[in-house]
Amino acid sequence: MNRGLNRLLLGILFLLILCYIVFDDLVQGDWGKIDGAWGRFSDFVSEDLLPPEWGMLTDAYYDGCTEDQAMFCSKAFVGMLETIKMAFVATILGFSIAILISPLAARNLVPIWVAVPARIIMAMTRSLPSIVWALLLIPPFGLGPLPGVLAMTFYTIGFLGKFQYEEMEGVRNDPLEAARVMGLSRSEIAFNVVIPESSNSLLSQLMFMFEYNVRHGTVLGLVGAGGIGFHLMFYMELGLYHHAMTFLIVIFLVVMMIDLLSMGVRSFVNEEGDVKRPSWLMTLLPPNAMFSNQNQDGK
Amino acid sequence: MSINESASDDAKDPIVIAKNLTIGYEEPLASNLNLVVKSGEIISIVGPSGVGKTTFLRTIAGMVSPLSGTIECNVKRRGGLGYIPQRLGLVRHTSVYHNVDLGARVGVSFGEFGLSWWSERNKRVLSCVEAMGISEKIREPVRRLSGGQQRRVATARTLAQRPKLILADEFLSELDDDNISAVLDAVKAYIESSGAAMILVEHDINRAKQVSDRMLVIDDGRLNPFIEKLTIQEVKF
Ligand SMILES: Nc1ncnc2c1ncn2[C@@H]1O[C@H](COP(=O)(O)OP(=O)(O)OP(=O)(O)O)[C@@H](O)[C@H]1O
Ligand SMILES: [Mg+2]
Repeated sequence: MNRGLNRLLLGILFLLILCYIVFDDLVQGDWGKIDGAWGRFSDFVSEDLLPPEWGMLTDAYYDGCTEDQAMFCSKAFVGMLETIKMAFVATILGFSIAILISPLAARNLVPIWVAVPARIIMAMTRSLPSIVWALLLIPPFGLGPLPGVLAMTFYTIGFLGKFQYEEMEGVRNDPLEAARVMGLSRSEIAFNVVIPESSNSLLSQLMFMFEYNVRHGTVLGLVGAGGIGFHLMFYMELGLYHHAMTFLIVIFLVVMMIDLLSMGVRSFVNEEGDVKRPSWLMTLLPPNAMFSNQNQDGK
Repeated sequence: MSINESASDDAKDPIVIAKNLTIGYEEPLASNLNLVVKSGEIISIVGPSGVGKTTFLRTIAGMVSPLSGTIECNVKRRGGLGYIPQRLGLVRHTSVYHNVDLGARVGVSFGEFGLSWWSERNKRVLSCVEAMGISEKIREPVRRLSGGQQRRVATARTLAQRPKLILADEFLSELDDDNISAVLDAVKAYIESSGAAMILVEHDINRAKQVSDRMLVIDDGRLNPFIEKLTIQEVKF
């Protein structure tokens, strides 16, 4: 075994010991509740959660449906769609605002006395997770998707903005220098040199943020800020876990799908050169599958 | 550096005046540089690698402050100075058009052209791209172009500015002989017709002699001391 690996393992061991000490402190030495927890959990899953109430996927539990809408008028579908719409709006709004603020925070574009206030604004919007923003916004705006969208937008501004200005600070120096010598203004440099130069990463960050907001949007419903989480909470509180389980499955599947989609889009825009790379579907196949395909063609 | 805002277009005024210049970052790289560049001149800077040729250009451009001495550059702040860095400074993910338009944008002002500035800008981009022979690549992202083609894009961008002074680092590298004469002819034609000037860095002495009116040798002793009639000075330190 080589020395580098040994050191890595030793480092991990040390961190695990440290982790145990902190954990033990957290539960104050009382590990008793772990006994039988697995049994209780599997009972909960097999008795309360399973089987899921598939009726949630039909119009059975939803009023006001016209006939023949079936699944498209189910709480699961309508709620999930609302969450996705909320995430979509919040991501686009947050991105658009962040892209205007972040050049003001990039040290290679502005003097320090501009960058610091811009960073403070973004740090403030980022310091509260969107669920806390939602709690703060529900009193003035009432329950529903509006405070949820605003909460996610706030968080997106701070979170995405930080990624954006760090990306902008990382652009190569020579286009910047050429632009400055030519006499382009700061805003011209920001919008015509720096942002296009980092566009690939900005797009990839945008996809990541959308995916993040869909995941987060499901949580926002728990406090009443719209989306599928709202229905989830409703059935959880009534103790109707079979019903809730259907929502959990839908959330899981949709998040997986968006995850894959954004992975595909990101690997597409991340392409540095224009070499054809295997599609993201291919990456799910075992590595030799691609080649065995070619071999067959060759015969 | 002081950029003289009241720059006159009087062809007799020197465009660059460097006096007793010491260049470098923390440590001096070369000292006692004196240079006067007049309208219509092409000057090449020659010297071994790492001696400070790029640093000298950046000092003229105002990107590095001189350690001592003065440098004066009589050009407009917006568009007066064209710069082609060693690594070209192109926006790699956007089209050739967009890159050349950056030059046209500073070269065509609303004040000068009024309402037709927009179409003038477009015309200028097209003519400069044409002059560099890359018209068929105009919608391609710059990163897909070859090294020599990218250098033509950078040249087109600079010509679109109609600058008073062109600074070009390792200008002719990556171009084969045919390309060199094509690119150089276009730049020379521009300089002659407009009374601009050019300072280029060239590591190949023979080529520098071919293309320029005068040569400034920056030497740290590694280069054989030789003074041709072209050489205006040799700086040792
Ligand atoms: N930003 C910088 N800060 C500090 N030192 C630098 C910086 N840029 C370059 N140098 C140093 O200054 C010296 C001269 O660099 P310069 O790029 O001017 O050389 P050059 O003559 O253009 O060489 P080449 O022909 O290889 O391009 C080098 O030793 C380099 O390490
Ligand atoms: Mg150099």
